Amino acid sequence: MSRVLAFSYDIALAFDKPVTNHSFVLRCLPADGPGQRVLDAALTLDPAAPCTDQRDSFGNRLQIGRIDEPHTGFHYRAAGTVLRDDTARTPEADRPLFRYPSAFTMPDDALQAVAAPLAGIQNPRARAWALLEAVGAHMRYTPGVTGVQTTAAQAWALGQGVCQDYAHIYLALARLCGLSARYVNGLPEGEGASHAWCEVWLDGIWTGIDPTRGRWADEGYIRFCVGRDFADCPIERGVFLGGANQCQTVFMKVCQQ
Amino acid sequence: MEDLIRHAEQINRQLARHGVKFGIYKNGTFKERLFPFDAIPRVITATEWETLSRGLTQRVRALNLFLRDIYGEKKILADGVVPEEFVYRSPGYLTQCEGIVPPGGIYSHISGIDLVKGKDGNWYVLEDNLRIPSGASYPLIARRLCRRCSSDTFRHNAVADNRQYGELLRRTLDSVNTGGINVVFTPGRYNAAYFEHAFLAEQSGAVLAEAGDLYVRDDVLYYRATHGDCRVGALYRRVSDEYMDPLAFEPSSLIGIPNLMAAYRAGNVAVVNAFGNGAADDKGIYYFVPKMVRYYLGEEAILHNAPTYLPFYEEDRRYVLDHLDSLVIKDVAEAGGYGVVFGSKLSRAELDKMRDTILAQPRRFIAQEVIDFEDLPIMEGSDRVERKADLRAFVLSGAQETVAWPSGLTRFSRNPDSFIVNSSQGGGFKDTWVLSH
Repeated sequence: MSRVLAFSYDIALAFDKPVTNHSFVLRCLPADGPGQRVLDAALTLDPAAPCTDQRDSFGNRLQIGRIDEPHTGFHYRAAGTVLRDDTARTPEADRPLFRYPSAFTMPDDALQAVAAPLAGIQNPRARAWALLEAVGAHMRYTPGVTGVQTTAAQAWALGQGVCQDYAHIYLALARLCGLSARYVNGLPEGEGASHAWCEVWLDGIWTGIDPTRGRWADEGYIRFCVGRDFADCPIERGVFLGGANQCQTVFMKVCQQ
Repeated sequence: MEDLIRHAEQINRQLARHGVKFGIYKNGTFKERLFPFDAIPRVITATEWETLSRGLTQRVRALNLFLRDIYGEKKILADGVVPEEFVYRSPGYLTQCEGIVPPGGIYSHISGIDLVKGKDGNWYVLEDNLRIPSGASYPLIARRLCRRCSSDTFRHNAVADNRQYGELLRRTLDSVNTGGINVVFTPGRYNAAYFEHAFLAEQSGAVLAEAGDLYVRDDVLYYRATHGDCRVGALYRRVSDEYMDPLAFEPSSLIGIPNLMAAYRAGNVAVVNAFGNGAADDKGIYYFVPKMVRYYLGEEAILHNAPTYLPFYEEDRRYVLDHLDSLVIKDVAEAGGYGVVFGSKLSRAELDKMRDTILAQPRRFIAQEVIDFEDLPIMEGSDRVERKADLRAFVLSGAQETVAWPSGLTRFSRNPDSFIVNSSQGGGFKDTWVLSH
């Protein structure tokens, strides 16, 4: 059943010293795609800076810009309304590159051992679900033990992590089991932080699946960007001059209209 | 020739003053070394060069079409000529480049093709270098010094002039330039190849720049000049892909240009060579180059590959395992003469270990027959001795033309038992004379 979701997503970066020559790339605006239509979406930046709009090789929307003047904070806010409807989706193209491991999803022996018995499940949908259960059974959701550089193999060895780690592990296993699978950054219904989940190409449809919450990612999820792993589609990336420490605050809200 | 040999020491002194050197990794530490010059040139006859030149341009045209295909339509993968996993598992394949057609449709503008001449008289290609192949400046500067020391030598021998390289490079950059100046981008004066960067900038009339001199605004690349900032239309960069833009590649890179990828993606600057070329000069992909020539050009490859086996294919795997002690095994992920193992030099136990590794990771290796390649004379003190040597030929591809430069870098091994001539393994170099008739 279709749903109209209103979203807002705020990130505030605070620097303890002024920074200059700050270049950034943002992927925080949703794009039209299968099952998702953007009714309206806007980005506001503080300090205000002109942005160019581009698409990357995965079709994600990019907002690119720079702020040269000294500043001690950078606040951006994406807000809008999205129509989600998975009922009338028609077959979508697979991309072979989503069948191969990437830097963060490179399997090690342990992950291969987990995948081996599950690869034999004939029905792809059942296989995709069995992998979800395998991840859920092994992993314990624990913030703060992993970081942005943690790979699927490392997170599996720890047995702990956050949504990014769950997604990487799931992708590593899915690709070992012959499924095309990709990483998704976006917002689920509710409040709090942004989220990461996966999409698996099943019966010609990129089907959302959320390993962290152990469920299919349905019409309550807004897709911002996709890639082979986290590194392909970070929501925010920036570099600047000035030896400042930065502190990041994130707040998002998605509710049905 | 004797005249040149007499001046060898003087030439080497001059080369040292110019800073002609290269970097070498030994036992985990980085060292710089002078690049010793041997005064006896390699001589290539006019007829031999005619074939080589046709073969080289043919090969590079096919490689450029391959790159355009795999980052675009992917026909060669769909047709099963190259197995897709050789592309998607290649460390040089960059998803960031998917769907981007560089200005002029050219990916490898400056290609360094490494060849050896077998004792059978045939030339064999050992490796394609399509990322940032270095070395053209060495024969250029050496020739200049040779001319200065012994102008008679060049009056009495019909040596094709090689001084047009700078002009050729300028024409190549101009042909893909999107509007603005040409820039040679160097990591800086502490880089081992800094001499080459500065020399090529001077020869081609481009501006030499480092990271701090360049920035991107509104998807356009600018150079900070003393009289005001100016737009850059072509960037001949001598830094690896992963360090070029911290916002698109390795985030920790301090020597890159933030959002260069955005300017490139928007079609506002030509990056020379293009990003992502590593997908075509992978040692595994090398096996398929003659097939690419047939596939894209409908021609037979003029230049041969060294006989190569891919353990990925079962038939080849069987052959490789049966003949391990006579083959050269190369790790596809390594470059610069590293990761090359001669089966004949391995002990029984090492051979067994190699066999297991190949069985476990067949995609990781290629195996080649050892080519008995010709020896060239070099001077060892006052003695004339024979050493193994290869040739790096340079092919320049612009929007309109692909040209092989009638010269090249001949590298030789100083070690009489070694077949590995890479400068990073401690060899020296020679001038390469292509005769004009």
